[in-house]
Amino acid sequence: MISFDIQLNRPEFSLSAKGEFDDGITAVFGPSGAGKSSLLNCLAGSIKPSDGSVTLGGTTLYSGSRGVWVSPEKRRIGTVYQDGALFPHLSVRKNIEFGWKLLQEDQRRLDPVEIADLLGLTYLLHRPPNELSGGERQRVAIARALATSPALLLLDEPLASLDAARRGSILNYLKRVHTEFNMPMIYVSHSVSEVVSIASSAMLLKDGVVKGFDRPSALLLGAASAGDEFESFDNILDGVIGDSTDHLTTVIVGDVNISTRHQNKNLGDRVVVSLGANQIILASSEPKNLSARNILKGIVSEIWSNTGKVFTEIDIGEKFIVELTENALNDLGIAVGQNVFLVFKSSSVDVYDA
Amino acid sequence: MTSDISVVALSVQIALVATTVTLPVGMLLAWLLVRKNFRGKFVLDVFVSLPLALPPVVVGYALLWLVGTNGWIGRLSESVFGSTLAFTWIAAALAAAIVSLPLVVRSFAASLAGVDPRLEVAARGLGAGSIRTLLTITLPLAYRGVIAGVLLGFVRALSEFGATIIVAGNIPGRTQTLPSAIFTRISAGDTGDAWRLALVSVVLGVIALAVHNWLLKRTATGISSSNGGSR
Repeated sequence: MISFDIQLNRPEFSLSAKGEFDDGITAVFGPSGAGKSSLLNCLAGSIKPSDGSVTLGGTTLYSGSRGVWVSPEKRRIGTVYQDGALFPHLSVRKNIEFGWKLLQEDQRRLDPVEIADLLGLTYLLHRPPNELSGGERQRVAIARALATSPALLLLDEPLASLDAARRGSILNYLKRVHTEFNMPMIYVSHSVSEVVSIASSAMLLKDGVVKGFDRPSALLLGAASAGDEFESFDNILDGVIGDSTDHLTTVIVGDVNISTRHQNKNLGDRVVVSLGANQIILASSEPKNLSARNILKGIVSEIWSNTGKVFTEIDIGEKFIVELTENALNDLGIAVGQNVFLVFKSSSVDVYDA
Repeated sequence: MTSDISVVALSVQIALVATTVTLPVGMLLAWLLVRKNFRGKFVLDVFVSLPLALPPVVVGYALLWLVGTNGWIGRLSESVFGSTLAFTWIAAALAAAIVSLPLVVRSFAASLAGVDPRLEVAARGLGAGSIRTLLTITLPLAYRGVIAGVLLGFVRALSEFGATIIVAGNIPGRTQTLPSAIFTRISAGDTGDAWRLALVSVVLGVIALAVHNWLLKRTATGISSSNGGSR
């Protein structure tokens, strides 16, 4: 558990953030310039706050009033940067082992070989970083940070420089890392979709001030419906390839079967499914005679409605976020607890390798 | 001929000592100027580069005052060695070091600025202290620029004349360097001797500059390949 109370005063910018994060995956969310990276840097020790305190698992890392300052190399906090910040003169293996080699034997809780295996890096250990794809580079950066057996992993917009196909895949790796190694994470992002997909709680930061701390969907979709400008929301879900016909492939997400365009994949392959919240039609009774291949029954579990957009969370075994207009919400009389049907085309669903 | 060899040997000795001094000093200054923000940075920057803008004679005159009996370096050396450094080869090396320092610092600063500071931050976060970060990340990534800077400084030290002749004089066998020997021979009308030494200067200069340029070219391609990540 990390708790902090940070005051950072800069001529052009100030940050005032107080919080306590558990050992799950916590997102720090906000528009660019909100102070997300500054907060991470204060936790990692690459920036010294003007005042306040940082405590990690009972150890004080910084205290303005007591004059405590633990230098970054002694904090046992791993950081993953936006584009990896891999050492260009070292091979993948040497990058991963860089921090691990600096540990005392008894501090080596995680094994680099095991980490590389979990992140699917074993086949490229001998390559230099400039021969890696963006996704591979991020996986190496994650492995390098993990190999120091940190007590906490900080991720600073780790997917920002990747295309959609890679994002889902890295999110999946991070979830695996979290469960496999029991690794607490702080995930900084300006993408609602990523945060809702990976985090168990989220802090909303704006203009250097904490605006909220809650369940990600509650916090972010509430803010989005209140008119905050965020990118469009994508439902990002883990799935497995099911049966295929010539034109369609079924992807099994939890207990739900989703029809997608034909995928060149094998039965049982793990995939990530991405479906835009604005690509889904909501119906209050079961629609008949539609060309759309997906008609799924669910229950409205939450509604965020404000002066701007409306987001609803529909529980069909898995939770889907659907975006609609205020008019549609009122005309259909949609309320929490009501049965509804989700309708979307198979071509609206993007399927990526996990 | 033997005096020619001793002139060249002394010049190389002086340039080597000067370079040995400018290497660590230049590295520290470059690091301060590129990586640190502090009050007086602008003044330091100007002061370091000043020898580049001044006539070397002025630098030599200032140095002569510093190493003379009235200057603090002079008094220090008098109490330690019993004499001042003025008109010794050490004074010549000092003059060469000061005049070549701006070139060395500029070269180091350029190569240091080419190293992404986030890599250093990343190394610190991975458990490396500041010294280890310098030795395992910064220097390996900047080393070509560092070597190029050292060579540039060496060439400049080798060709130093104005400051040297003021602070160290032109004493054959003791402080007479390649440029001051050429000056003496031209003054005396020994054009053949002057040309021979001038040729030696050209050869030394061409070798050092060729290596310098080759290293810079390698640095440039090294940077572009580490950034070209679309493969």
